[in-house]
Amino acid sequence: MKQIFVRPELCMGCRSCEIGCEVQHSKDKTLFSAVLQSPSPSPRLFVEAAEDIKMPVICRHCEEAPCLNGCISGCLYRDEKGFVRRKKERCIGCWSCMMLCPFGVITRDKEKRIAVKCDRCHKLDLPACVSACPTGALQLVDLDEVPKEIRSRAVLSGTSAYRS
Amino acid sequence: MRHVIIGGSIAGISAAKAIRQSDPSAEVTVLSGEKARPYYRPMIPFLIRKGDIDITFEGDLEKRYGFAVAYEKAAGIDVAKKEVRLESGRNISYDRLLIATGSRPVVPAIPGIRGEAVFTLRTAQDARSIGKSAEKARSAVVLGGGLVGIKTAIALRKAGLGVTIVEKLDCILPGKFDRRGSEIISNIVEKEGIRVLTGISISEVVRAKGELRGVRLSSGDTLDAGMLIVAAGTLPDLDIVKGTGIRTRTGVLIDENLRTSVPDIYAAGDVVEYTDLVFGRSAVSALWTNAEEMGRLAGRNMAGGKAKYEGFLSVLNSSEIFDIPVMAIGLVEPDPLSREYESLVEDNVDSYKKLVFKGSVLVGAVFINDVENAGIYTNLIRSRMQMGGLKEEAIKGSLRYINFIRTVPEQTMSA
Repeated sequence: MKQIFVRPELCMGCRSCEIGCEVQHSKDKTLFSAVLQSPSPSPRLFVEAAEDIKMPVICRHCEEAPCLNGCISGCLYRDEKGFVRRKKERCIGCWSCMMLCPFGVITRDKEKRIAVKCDRCHKLDLPACVSACPTGALQLVDLDEVPKEIRSRAVLSGTSAYRS
Repeated sequence: MRHVIIGGSIAGISAAKAIRQSDPSAEVTVLSGEKARPYYRPMIPFLIRKGDIDITFEGDLEKRYGFAVAYEKAAGIDVAKKEVRLESGRNISYDRLLIATGSRPVVPAIPGIRGEAVFTLRTAQDARSIGKSAEKARSAVVLGGGLVGIKTAIALRKAGLGVTIVEKLDCILPGKFDRRGSEIISNIVEKEGIRVLTGISISEVVRAKGELRGVRLSSGDTLDAGMLIVAAGTLPDLDIVKGTGIRTRTGVLIDENLRTSVPDIYAAGDVVEYTDLVFGRSAVSALWTNAEEMGRLAGRNMAGGKAKYEGFLSVLNSSEIFDIPVMAIGLVEPDPLSREYESLVEDNVDSYKKLVFKGSVLVGAVFINDVENAGIYTNLIRSRMQMGGLKEEAIKGSLRYINFIRTVPEQTMSA
């Protein structure tokens, strides 16, 4: 399966991915209307920066997804492609998923009072964040084809900080 | 391999799924004493006002996962013959058995409490009965200021009733929120017209010719009420394990592979008593998220796996109280006399945040009306990670996932 692969060393923190995501999840899916939309559409991924690193933090559609496992209303489900998605009409705004996501990539739509998360642009060949990235910091790849040293760098620097 | 699961709620269902995923040839039977399609139990307070909303697990479980739900109640276990006796008189044999009977409401022995117009809220049917009764009643008393009590009170208030919560301890949500958090939530519900009485108990349920009239309080006052909801907590439902030799305390005791003391019998969910990750003692959880996890791991192990269960957080609550998101995770109110803990509090006009540290390990957190990134804190609490310099970021409120990522020096990359 192809996955979104993040290369922090290529990220310059321009937030094009956030904008691409917002436009894709706006009503008319154009930049112009997305800017004018009120309340403005919210991105599903977030460019974060620490001392010596910048990178977009994205939903992993975890194999054992805490958000999905902890959803008390039947809103979150895994679709046939393996993506963790929402049945919006079943969200009751209990925020259990927000309490459980270790990446902090689920947010609150304060108007509609429902949880907002990445749907991996399931209708598109290429996710909007990947299309928008000008540097290749976000790539859609078959992980088996990524050279081993690049993958191990990602593992060493990334999720291994979490023990769970 | 023949697996039998006693209990058709989330622990049982997630175990059944996990067994079938690990071993597609396994035969799995889920026994559900509640004669209703498996459903999302935490959703039942919503049924009080809208009895017809669909809260069931979607799709055909048998088609999707390949296990059957039998709507029959188990009456006993013969551990020597490895058989479960059903109420219908039929016996079914098992190779592996899961006890997932959940918990049931505690009803305190108060004069007059048995009789009409007194309810507990445990099943979808209970919620619908409360809803029906609420159509005629003008006021209700809720005994117990825990989460179930508050959610019930909110539903009844929204249905137009006058509602009073009576909590015998001196704050609502005892043990589930810290004192200040509890006070804030108390203020929110009172502003919405729910009366909150704390430090008071009900001494008598007042009836006239059997009909409920109200309750008499320990203070001597009486409250008029057309209905009384008892939400005084739950206890593991241990009926089925009596006489089996399965070791219990408050709940069924399990080892790190979720096995009980009797061979080939596992337990998961509310019925279990096990390690709390931050309390430093065993506890019962009565939480959906924990029951799901226990069921999933028990199922995997029943199918031959060796999943190790480290324990749960028996405080792990997220909810919305009249549109205000509130969360409490882990150890939220440490013993004020203990010097082991350090609490950092940010008490703003419109939000509240508290972090509890034990040295450089985060052990508890409370978030009210500012819940962004809460999952990062939950994961820190669960993993009991030494935070080092990240403690500062956490206190400043700027802790993000990125803070856990360190770029790796090139020389370590040679492997």
